[in-house]
Amino acid sequence: MAYHTQYRPPHYNSAPPDQGFLWNIFQRVDKDRSGAISDTELQQALSNGTWTPFNPVTVRSIISMFDRENKGGVNFNEFAGVWKYITDWQNIFRTYDRDNSGFIDKNELRQALTGFGYRLSDQFYNTLIEKFDRQKRSQVAFDDFIQCCIVLQRLTDVFRRYDTDQDGWIQVSYEQYLSMVFNVV
Amino acid sequence: MNFPGYGAPAAGGYPGGFPGQQQDPLYGYFTAVAGQDGQISAEELQTCLSQANFSGGYRPFNIETCRLMISMLDRDMSCSMGFNEFKELWAVLSGWKQHFMSIDRDMSGTVDPQEMSQAVSSMGYRLSPQAMNCIIKRYSSNGKISFDDYVACCVKLRSLTDVFRKRDQAQQGVATFQYDDFIQCTMSI
Repeated sequence: MAYHTQYRPPHYNSAPPDQGFLWNIFQRVDKDRSGAISDTELQQALSNGTWTPFNPVTVRSIISMFDRENKGGVNFNEFAGVWKYITDWQNIFRTYDRDNSGFIDKNELRQALTGFGYRLSDQFYNTLIEKFDRQKRSQVAFDDFIQCCIVLQRLTDVFRRYDTDQDGWIQVSYEQYLSMVFNVV
Repeated sequence: MNFPGYGAPAAGGYPGGFPGQQQDPLYGYFTAVAGQDGQISAEELQTCLSQANFSGGYRPFNIETCRLMISMLDRDMSCSMGFNEFKELWAVLSGWKQHFMSIDRDMSGTVDPQEMSQAVSSMGYRLSPQAMNCIIKRYSSNGKISFDDYVACCVKLRSLTDVFRKRDQAQQGVATFQYDDFIQCTMSI
């Protein structure tokens, strides 16, 4: 059950990437040579397979996950984490995009999320696609797939914080509920 | 516990006394965009509200706000809205619009966080300063909240309140959530 496993994208690469290799990438992405990769620079470097810009909300989430100093970008050390995170997601996406369409459709999404341990109703997958599919194709592209998983993970994290006895149930006041979820969804 | 968020009834709502639905001016706007199934999607709602010039002097709603509006009233989880739901939405939106206009005295199209906080309180929500800050931070750009953001915020507050209410059996302001249900109901708004 997703709730009981510490879900993170599984570790697909056994060896860390070569530092020289990473540095080359970093320099190419850090166009203004500021020493940190900004949201815009990362967005321009990533592809979601649709010839449209990578989801800026997802870019922001990724940068803020690895930006330890709240500077609004990632330096070279932090970038290693970003690179691994995105590479892991690419591997997961390819695994579940079984028909290799470049998109994850409802069935593939169901297999992915069930594989991660979530127990969700069939109807809810319709809601997820409607909510996250920015291309309006009733399927999710790479960036929207990541975004969906990030939101699910955030909700799980916030739920877990309140479930002190870890039994899968919480009791919250109205105010607590609003504070918990308002900024996540 | 009294749950807030349903807003004041639209004082300027469409006049009563129309003999049939067909003559309801809202019906005209609705059918102009709805297909054979009598349902509208978020995109069609956006078009509809623009054509009806709902926003008036304010900028038209962006698509994400329209999606939120559909899911606020989407009881059958169809991700679309029928005419009765549309009428209900119109009434609620009108109330919120009037409220916004009463705060936005200089007609700039934006309100500041303090005014937003007062608006939310006067709708009946009792929130701690921290919770209020969370909400305001989420919706302000450059320290200001636009009409669209204000409506998106009201819609979300109302949707979340509805979710909470259903799980507060004793109406004591405390709700119980099981994990799978929590994920699904919260993500559905």
